Amino acid sequence: MASASRSASVAYGFLGVALFIGGWQLIGAYQLAGLTWPPFTTVISYLIEPSRWGLFSRALEATLWAMGFGYAVGGACGFTIAVAASMFDRLRPMLDTTSAVVHAIPAIAIAPLFIILLGTSTAPSALSALNVFFIMYVSTSAGLAAATPAHRDVFRVLGASKTQQLYRLQLPNALPSIITGLRLAAPASVIGAIIGEWFGAPRGLGLLIVSAMQNFQIPLLWSTIVLATAISAIAYGLFGLIERLIHARFQ
Amino acid sequence: MQRAGTSIRLNHVSKSFSIGRKTVAAVDAVDLTIEAGEFVSFIGPSGCGKSTILRMVAALEAPTAGQVTIGDLPPSEMAQHHRLGVAFQDHALLPWLTVRKNVELPFRIASRPVNDQQIDQLLNLVGLSEFDRARPKQLSGGMRQRASIARALILQPDVLLLDEPFGALDQVTRRHLNIELQNIWARNAITTILITHSVDEALFLSDRVVVLSGRPGRVVKVLPVPFGRPRSPSVMRDPLFHQLADDLTESLEGYVGSEEP
Ligand SMILES: Nc1ncnc2c1ncn2[C@@H]1O[C@H](COP(=O)(O)OP(=O)(O)O)[C@@H](O)[C@H]1O
Ligand SMILES: [Mg+2]
Repeated sequence: MASASRSASVAYGFLGVALFIGGWQLIGAYQLAGLTWPPFTTVISYLIEPSRWGLFSRALEATLWAMGFGYAVGGACGFTIAVAASMFDRLRPMLDTTSAVVHAIPAIAIAPLFIILLGTSTAPSALSALNVFFIMYVSTSAGLAAATPAHRDVFRVLGASKTQQLYRLQLPNALPSIITGLRLAAPASVIGAIIGEWFGAPRGLGLLIVSAMQNFQIPLLWSTIVLATAISAIAYGLFGLIERLIHARFQ
Repeated sequence: MQRAGTSIRLNHVSKSFSIGRKTVAAVDAVDLTIEAGEFVSFIGPSGCGKSTILRMVAALEAPTAGQVTIGDLPPSEMAQHHRLGVAFQDHALLPWLTVRKNVELPFRIASRPVNDQQIDQLLNLVGLSEFDRARPKQLSGGMRQRASIARALILQPDVLLLDEPFGALDQVTRRHLNIELQNIWARNAITTILITHSVDEALFLSDRVVVLSGRPGRVVKVLPVPFGRPRSPSVMRDPLFHQLADDLTESLEGYVGSEEP
C-alpha cells in the first residue's frame, strides 16, 4: 500500500520533469520566447561537447568547493550555536535575534561587502556558509525545542543533567528536523556560492553565468544554469533519501 | 511482603499558579504523611489539583507554601539521586529506542552499569519479554504503559509516582493492568502515590484512598482500605468492596459540577 503510493508519487515526479523539459523543448524549438530561449536538446548537446568539458569542470570544481566549504562551516556553526542557545537559556534571545538580523540582510547586498573584506576567492564560500548557517540554526533550534513536556518531565524526575537531556532526549528528537535542515541547506549553499562568484570570483559557475550573459553566449548561459540546478537537485535528493530513512525510524 | 521505600510528608502544602494577572489556587493546605511502603491513591474531580500534588512530590513543581519532604530530603535531591520512579498517562517512551533500551534509560541517566538480568526479570514481570526489541509505536496502549512502569521501577526507586497511568486504556485492559500492578507491587512494596479517576482502581490497589475536594484541592476524606495483601481480583466482588466504592463515589459526587472551565 505504502509502496504503491510511493511509486505513484515517483511517477508523478517524473511526469512533472518530463512536462517541464517537453515544454522547454517546444518553446525553444518554435522560438516562442525568441532567440534567447534555446531548445533543451541544444543546451544538452552544448553541455556534453567534449571540448568544453575542461571549462565546465573547472567552474564546477570551484563552485563545489565553495559550496562544500560553506555547507560544512555554515552547518557546523548553525548547529553548534543552536545547541548553545538551547543549553544556556540566557543566550537564546540574543542568538535568535542576531541570526535573524544576519539572515534578513539580502545575500546580494552582503556579497560586495564580503568581497571587500575577504577577497574574491573566499566570498563565495562565505556567502554559502551564511546561507547554510541560518537554515541549520533554525532547524536545529526547532528540533531541540520539540521534545514533549512529558518526556522532559520523565528526564527531570529520573535526575538527568542538562547535558544528558541534550544528548539522550533533545538531540535524537531533533534529528529529523536537523536532516530536513541539511536537505534545505543544500540548494541554499549552491545559491550562496554562485552569488558570491558573480561579483568577480576567479572561477566558478557564477562567473560563467555572468560572462556568458555579458557576451551573449546563450547556450553557455543555459548550460551553466542546468549544471547549477543539477548539483542543487542532486544534493537535495540525497538528503531527501537520508531523511526518509530517519523519519521512518523516528515516528 | 517486604515494605520498602521512604515516607513522604506533605506539610501544609499549597500551590497556586499565576495565569496572566489571575492567580489560580490549585492545592490548598494539604497535610498528609505517607508511610514507607504505603500505597496511597488520590481521587477527586478533574482539575482539582491531583497532578499538581504528584508533580510537587516529583520535584517538577515547587509548593507556594508548605513543604514536601521524602524521608528527610527535599524531592529535588531525591530526583538528583535517581531515587524516584514516575509514569504518566502519556507513556513518554522514547520513540527511537526499543522497549529494552527504554527500560535501560534510568541506568544510563544514573551512570550505572546496565543490569541486563534485572531488565530481563522486570520485562518478564510486566509481560514484555517477547517485545523487548519492539519500538513503542509497534505496541498496544497497554503494553506501552507496562513498559513505562517497568522504566519507573528498574532502579528500584524509594518512591513510585503514577499519574493516571491507565487513564487512556479501555476497561478490560485497565483491569488487567491493575491486577498486574498489584502483583508486582506485592513483591516489593515501594512507597507509591497513584492519581486516578477510578474508584475501583484506587480501592483495589491502595492502603489508603485520599479524596480531594474540587479546586482548590483539599483533603476531604482519607479512607483506609481494610483488605489484606496480596489481593486477588476476587476482592473486587466482596460486598465490602462495593460498599466502600459507593461511599467514595458519594463523597466525590458532592463536587460534581464544581469544576470551573
Ligand atoms: N503549569 C500550570 N500553569 C497554570 N495552571 C496550572 C498549571 N498546572 C495546573 N494548573 C491548574 O491547576 C489546577 C489543577 O490542575 P491539575 O493538578 O492538573 O488537576 P487534576 O490532575 O486534578 O486534573 C487546574 O485548574 C489547572 O488548570
Ligand atoms: Mg491530572
